[in-house]
Amino acid sequence: MNRTTVNRVLLAVIGAVLLIGALLVLVGGFDVYHRLAVTPPSWWPLISPHQPVLSTASRTRWRDRGWWWPAVVAGFALLVVLSVCWLAAQLRRPEPAEIELPTHGTPGLRLRLRGPALSRAVQEAALHLPEVTAARVRLLGHPHLARRRARLRAQLLLKPGSDPSAAVVAFQRGPLTYAYGAVGGELPLELRLQVASSAGEPPALERRARRRRAKERRREPRVV
Amino acid sequence: MGSEAQAPPHRRLRSPRTRASALVALAVLAASGVLLYDAVSEWTGHHPGSWRHWLADQLATRHLDSAWVLAGAAVVASLGVWLLVLALGPGERRWLPLRQAPDTVVDRLGVAALLEWRVCAEPMVASARVRVGRRRARVTVHGSADFDRAGVVLNEELDRIGLVRRPDLKVRGRRARHRPHRQ
Repeated sequence: MNRTTVNRVLLAVIGAVLLIGALLVLVGGFDVYHRLAVTPPSWWPLISPHQPVLSTASRTRWRDRGWWWPAVVAGFALLVVLSVCWLAAQLRRPEPAEIELPTHGTPGLRLRLRGPALSRAVQEAALHLPEVTAARVRLLGHPHLARRRARLRAQLLLKPGSDPSAAVVAFQRGPLTYAYGAVGGELPLELRLQVASSAGEPPALERRARRRRAKERRREPRVV
Repeated sequence: MGSEAQAPPHRRLRSPRTRASALVALAVLAASGVLLYDAVSEWTGHHPGSWRHWLADQLATRHLDSAWVLAGAAVVASLGVWLLVLALGPGERRWLPLRQAPDTVVDRLGVAALLEWRVCAEPMVASARVRVGRRRARVTVHGSADFDRAGVVLNEELDRIGLVRRPDLKVRGRRARHRPHRQ
């Protein structure tokens, strides 16, 4: 499972827990069961609007058992450990350090290409395309599963009025083909295009345009 | 979303939800860390923090129909809905897929810039304001140009860009009160 799937599953689980808990409180608080003449099963929590959210009796029900405090502490400790792992996974850049290159059966030879070297080379090649003014290229994938799931993400800023489809074709024929040649195989590509707005707006719209340009500048790819 | 049978699949980008996950993880970490500290201190025979005493007291005395409880539950429910939307929605609403190749997208501001560039090149167009959404593109043309012609030109430009899901174009014309800036 990749990071996107893990994140989305965990967000869905936490969201569902929060939603279900809150709905139980709301349904009990507005006395919906009574109004709809529904009798929930006996173990159903939070039925009557006159009951407390968490009574002292149910909070301290198992407090005198020997396993209670160890279980509570272990549960919270597990939550702390899991959330630290989850947080750490967000801070890591999913970038493979190096890519294994094919050696065509030469014995005793292992060739490796550093990931940043490849992305830098693709970026340089992209900047040589006539319609590209800025480019940012990253190699994505799992740091340890080097070649298998590596993919290339490129973000290009095109000149005002360029043709995005032509830029895609130019990128595939140029920089991407060089990258395939270097790696000796195909790399999945994710290409993101931006287009610069034309300079020199008329004075009537200048203020709005300046604000918009400032917004765009914030979104422009930075050239490293 | 490919319209032709043998066309490659044009998926929308799916956001990895890094920032939202980091925030939620941080919140879970903070809450469980404080509770862990408190549980350990009570287990080892210390007194629980006064905040927890207050919290337990509130939970035990406030009834379900109390306004505070209901308001809190409503807030938590909307938070849960928001997290579910984040988990299920694709995100990356800023990028529109291109027909040219799979996993190729163009920025909505970029589409707006192209439309603006194209319509401003028309004669007697003083300026144009373009807003591109995922379903609709609204263009307001200022000037004394032929606005029907501007609409045709903008449609051509949208076809040239080649989006998988072409937004509907709405063109509005505004007569310029001043002399057009560009000839």
